[in-house]
Amino acid sequence: MSSAVLSTALTAAGISAEVSDEAFGVLARVAACDIAGALMALRDGDGAFALLVDLFATDTGDELEVTYHLRSFARDEDAYVRLVVQYDAEVPSVWRVYPAALYPEREAAELFGLTFPGHPNPKRLLTTDEVELPLLRKSTPIRTNEEVHDR
Amino acid sequence: MTDPQLPQACILPEGESPTPVLPRGLRRVPRGVDELATEHLIVNMGPQHPSTHGVLHILLELDGEEIIAAEASLGYLHRGIEKLAEHRRYNAVGTLLDRADYVSGIHTELAFAQATEQLMGIEVPPKALWLRSMFSEIVRITSHLVAIGTYGLDIGAMAPFLYIMRDREALLKVLESVTGARMMFNYVRPGGVLADLTPEAEPLLRQFLKTFPGYLDEYHTLLTGNEIFQARVKGIGVIDRATAIAFGMSGPPLRASGLGWDVRKERPYAAYDQLRFDVPVGADGDCWDRYFVRMEEMRISAELIEQCLDGMPEGEVSAKVPKVLKPPAGEAYSAVESPRGEVGIHVVSDGTDTPYRMHLKGPSLMNLAVVDEVMPGHKIADSVAIIGSLDIVLGEIDR
Amino acid sequence: MALDRFLGENSVIFTTTEALFDKARANSLWYLSYGIACCAFEGLMSAGGPKYDYDRFGIFHRGSPRQADVMIVAGTVNKKMAHALRKLYDQMPEPKWVIAMGACACTGGPFREYPNVVLGVDNVVPVDVYVPGCPPRPESMQYGFMQLQDKIRNRRKEMAREQRSA
Repeated sequence: MSSAVLSTALTAAGISAEVSDEAFGVLARVAACDIAGALMALRDGDGAFALLVDLFATDTGDELEVTYHLRSFARDEDAYVRLVVQYDAEVPSVWRVYPAALYPEREAAELFGLTFPGHPNPKRLLTTDEVELPLLRKSTPIRTNEEVHDR
Repeated sequence: MTDPQLPQACILPEGESPTPVLPRGLRRVPRGVDELATEHLIVNMGPQHPSTHGVLHILLELDGEEIIAAEASLGYLHRGIEKLAEHRRYNAVGTLLDRADYVSGIHTELAFAQATEQLMGIEVPPKALWLRSMFSEIVRITSHLVAIGTYGLDIGAMAPFLYIMRDREALLKVLESVTGARMMFNYVRPGGVLADLTPEAEPLLRQFLKTFPGYLDEYHTLLTGNEIFQARVKGIGVIDRATAIAFGMSGPPLRASGLGWDVRKERPYAAYDQLRFDVPVGADGDCWDRYFVRMEEMRISAELIEQCLDGMPEGEVSAKVPKVLKPPAGEAYSAVESPRGEVGIHVVSDGTDTPYRMHLKGPSLMNLAVVDEVMPGHKIADSVAIIGSLDIVLGEIDR
Repeated sequence: MALDRFLGENSVIFTTTEALFDKARANSLWYLSYGIACCAFEGLMSAGGPKYDYDRFGIFHRGSPRQADVMIVAGTVNKKMAHALRKLYDQMPEPKWVIAMGACACTGGPFREYPNVVLGVDNVVPVDVYVPGCPPRPESMQYGFMQLQDKIRNRRKEMAREQRSA
């Protein structure tokens, strides 16, 4: 039911999306350039997804996934929107649609090496300049036992 | 002729001479203070500040006493819980998550245990579900007690803090006797909980429940009825419903803004579908409402603990789960209502014994983001009242 | 005077002023309220609370580093915090002491493998007393303070012994 809402809302806005029912919820896969339009359509369309619950990135090993977790109070439903980009790619900032994305975008930008063009305050959020980034990518190792013991 | 060393007038009309002749020993014209021109001042509040509840660093741009802009600078407690979880087995991740939201560790544990159970399809025995609910509520009271007590401390009321520490110790005694720890419980495990109630825990809890309504009245006398406290919090930091939704807030701050969304009601987990409780909702969304919602939630939590004690089913406290958990590949999201709001855990599994990716959705980060919006226009002393009313924990903001 | 109770009436003791001051210092350790993480609850908040009440030992919290003698490092110190920590330590007047509270401040604790975490606060400031535990109980912290008091009281003796042996 929710997947139908998602696909109609997205096609009405002229955005091609691949909507599927996953175990954790309804997931729409969109292209990175369409994300702001897609979220705008979902927020203002029939779905009325008024709340951005969360935004996070995942390193799949070959590329990065950015997931937007939306919630509709009117329909009492959750939905996920996901996009896949290359490393060091640009993902348009969605803060004009959901101001809640301001801090999570900065966090994802810093820890995964993404860029969010259009973000009003794209400073480093969590670490100082001496720390090598991006920390949360799979290619960044954690300290080994020897490093910890020879502190 | 006048003495060239001593000019007649050292303050020349503007435009007459680019470099006015100054008396010997002076480097600039003593104009005095222009009391009308004010310069904006940047004040660093934190990271070491008694009222920022941890290591929050807020940059305030001030025009005199008034806040023009505010920005939170985070990361003073960034210690890589999400990264380290990718290198820990499923049973050991709870240890890290306890320390994420260190005031109410049990809720983050519970969210992760539920996500793991979703991935593996584990059926949790009913007694474990009831124990989970009960301990969630016990920890909710300890967390709200801290929130209220330190809020009083921020506003300038020292006494409530001493009272809440007394009452918190009574609950910590129960928690210690059951889980073995005062703060970092690691009590909720995938499949159930660690242990049943100990023989001394139930009488202690019953005793606490008998005295707690009286304690709550004490707090109401000390804080709610305190005129100075009322003057400091009423009408301060108003977050209307639209702003709260736009910034993705949850928990008591969202409910104080008039939207009664509670994960316990809307997406029941543990034993909450079998418990009867109300969700307190505020009207104005100011600091006073956020404070009062917490006070009401404590009263309701005490009722819930009583319901859990009375209705506790018999049986096992944990399902049979393997020592090394290897969930099949997939993703799961699980949310619980922590004292601060919705704590969600998003786990991605690739079939090995460690999570491929674990993301903690902390409510404090979203609740904190609103300070940029709310603080401008307030006086600098109100910034403390606003931060305290949001009840943030830096452990889960920075992760 | 209180000394009369222990040494008899009108008694005289010979001591150096520094040793006398150290005895006084040991009994009024004002700590900087600088809670970083979880340990702040057990070490700093319980300290002010009624059950443990460190005030009995003259241990009381101060908001400003300029008024503090002891810094309790209660939590994980990462690279961003290390700068602030050092700044605060430098602002404290001499003589000053540091207690590393909890596994994180001692060695990095459960987060030692993350590259952003400092492996023990002794990489940033000199540490006098280490209190292990995750988090240590308030009783452990009391014991840590008593160890620090012993250390301060015997400071002159230790220095004299070192001079003799050198």
